[in-house]
Amino acid sequence: MRPSDVVPALLMLALSAAIAFDTRSLSFWADTTPGPAFLPVWLAIAGAVLFVLRLAEARRLGSGVPFQWPERVALARVAWAFAGLVAAPLLAPLVGLVLALAAFVAFLLLVVLRQALWPSLTTVAITIGLVYAIFVGWLGVPLPKGMLGI
Amino acid sequence: MEALQLLGQGFATCFTPLNLSFILIGVVIGQIIGALPGIGPAAGMALLLPLTYGVPPVTAIMMLAGIMYGGQYGGTLTSVLVNVPGEAASVMTTLDGHQMARQGRAGAALSIAAIGSFLAGVGAVVAVVFVTPPLAEFALKFNAPEYFLLALLGITATASLGSDSPTKALMAALLGLMVAMVGVDPIQGTPRLAFGQQALIEGIDFLPVAIGIFGIAEVLASLERSEQAAAMRTRLRDMWLGAKDWAESRMAIVRGSLIGFFVGVMPGAGPTIASMLAYIAEKRVSARPERFGGGAIEGVAAPESANNAASHAACIPMLALGIPGSASTAVLLAALILHGIRPGPGLMTEQSTLVWALIASMFIGNLVLLVLNLPLAPLFAALLRVRYAYLAPGILAISLVGAYANTLNFTEVWIALAFGVIGWFMIKLDFPRAPLVLALVLAPLLESSLRQSLLLSFGSLKIFVERPLAAALLGCVVLSLALPLVGTLRRAARLKRVG
Repeated sequence: MRPSDVVPALLMLALSAAIAFDTRSLSFWADTTPGPAFLPVWLAIAGAVLFVLRLAEARRLGSGVPFQWPERVALARVAWAFAGLVAAPLLAPLVGLVLALAAFVAFLLLVVLRQALWPSLTTVAITIGLVYAIFVGWLGVPLPKGMLGI
Repeated sequence: MEALQLLGQGFATCFTPLNLSFILIGVVIGQIIGALPGIGPAAGMALLLPLTYGVPPVTAIMMLAGIMYGGQYGGTLTSVLVNVPGEAASVMTTLDGHQMARQGRAGAALSIAAIGSFLAGVGAVVAVVFVTPPLAEFALKFNAPEYFLLALLGITATASLGSDSPTKALMAALLGLMVAMVGVDPIQGTPRLAFGQQALIEGIDFLPVAIGIFGIAEVLASLERSEQAAAMRTRLRDMWLGAKDWAESRMAIVRGSLIGFFVGVMPGAGPTIASMLAYIAEKRVSARPERFGGGAIEGVAAPESANNAASHAACIPMLALGIPGSASTAVLLAALILHGIRPGPGLMTEQSTLVWALIASMFIGNLVLLVLNLPLAPLFAALLRVRYAYLAPGILAISLVGAYANTLNFTEVWIALAFGVIGWFMIKLDFPRAPLVLALVLAPLLESSLRQSLLLSFGSLKIFVERPLAAALLGCVVLSLALPLVGTLRRAARLKRVG
């Protein structure tokens, strides 16, 4: 069995177990009506059934064609892009969301995707301009400001 | 006749400067999103949903619907000129469309795709006009058991029809239902599945999940590719079709439209399956099937007509029953809910202006798209030469702000990021994402109607078989689960015999 078939099945089982555990203190049935735990418990049972079915399917498929992860360079691009995505909301309280997003777009273009400097800076300016015009100017969304007040 | 009168009122609602401009914005954005490989209409709709908070619900829904069907037109450009489907429903178009482009007939391929899509789209909207009202009226007879089974059918049918592996699709749907359970129990108000986290007690909203699972995940997956295939050029004078092209493709458009319509109405099947079935059917009825894959114009006309017909037809169960048939209609339904509108059979009467304006906007939108895709096709083709690397960071930035703007809370951003990773893994492991989103949208209806049913019957499950309508729906649910299982068992038996 391929790990790519088994791991999602195990995660589904783990999620089902977590749901069963978390709803143990809630009522399954209250007087004449199903309680708050009713559907979650049934979903946990369905999760366990699907775990078995998925394992059976994985066993039938056997080792087959090995699962192809993206190449190391491609995977690194995805990982760095995601790291940038995580960093942006973390930076927002310090420098403001607009500046954090500008830093994220510049980082992605110049460091991760290795694009030329001037087109990248132009893209940063256009992106931030659009975000500001739509969300702040038009929709009136108060984006978090940082220590610089931007 | 009443339907035509209401449609007339719908047109009157559309013909305001604000609504007309938002229809135009919607279809242009849809066209561009469809043309961009790596981001589909559902993702585009989810990303742009927060932008609709500033306009009336009717305007917002018309714009989002424009993105939905505009995406079907836009996907053709990339399929024909780059040999990469702009979105999943255009995958069959690459087979013959790109071959036509290599033979110097890119213009003819784009033309027939635009005309086929337009005719199929308008035909499907005409059917929406006449099929939706009686279906909604019939659905007014539904009670809690029927609603529960209908919501369940929406989920099981999506899982069984829309994927190669029903277990994978069912796992995705189950994950969606589990996510929907987080928060406060809708009947007793008891907090559940918050795992001690204060932020989770309010539940997990649809929007950050959709932004993550479609928008962020698709952009992350597309960042794996470092190179961008060059787009072929096309000129306006190449767009003319000859008499032979018309003769070869007119019946393909009719057949593709019909297949697309019937597949689109079925929950879960959607435009991608419709275009595949239309292509297979066209090849089967062709007197010279060997031409398919080598630049047959019918191989472009049929799938393109089918995907647009299916995209519109999926609105029938969404408007009449409140059950979305595809990922895009799930986002549309969520948009209705976010704008404070309760979907369901009552929608046709309670929100008559909105529904008929939406239907009328589809006629207008298709006409605009025909113009965009015939004389202006070379202009949009030029857009394909913009490097995707310059667009991806902007899409991700808008995803983050869109998630934040939903409740002005960074929790939504973290949820979107978490589902971005989940969505990326789902793409890599070949898990369909539409069942998760559909289940998330349908979960409140499913749970409340199940519990109401059992309350009515004092806990007896007989309520689901005693009522004829409920029994018929239960039969459909069982069938939707049994058919793929039978298929899997037959495939396994055949493999055993061969090997």
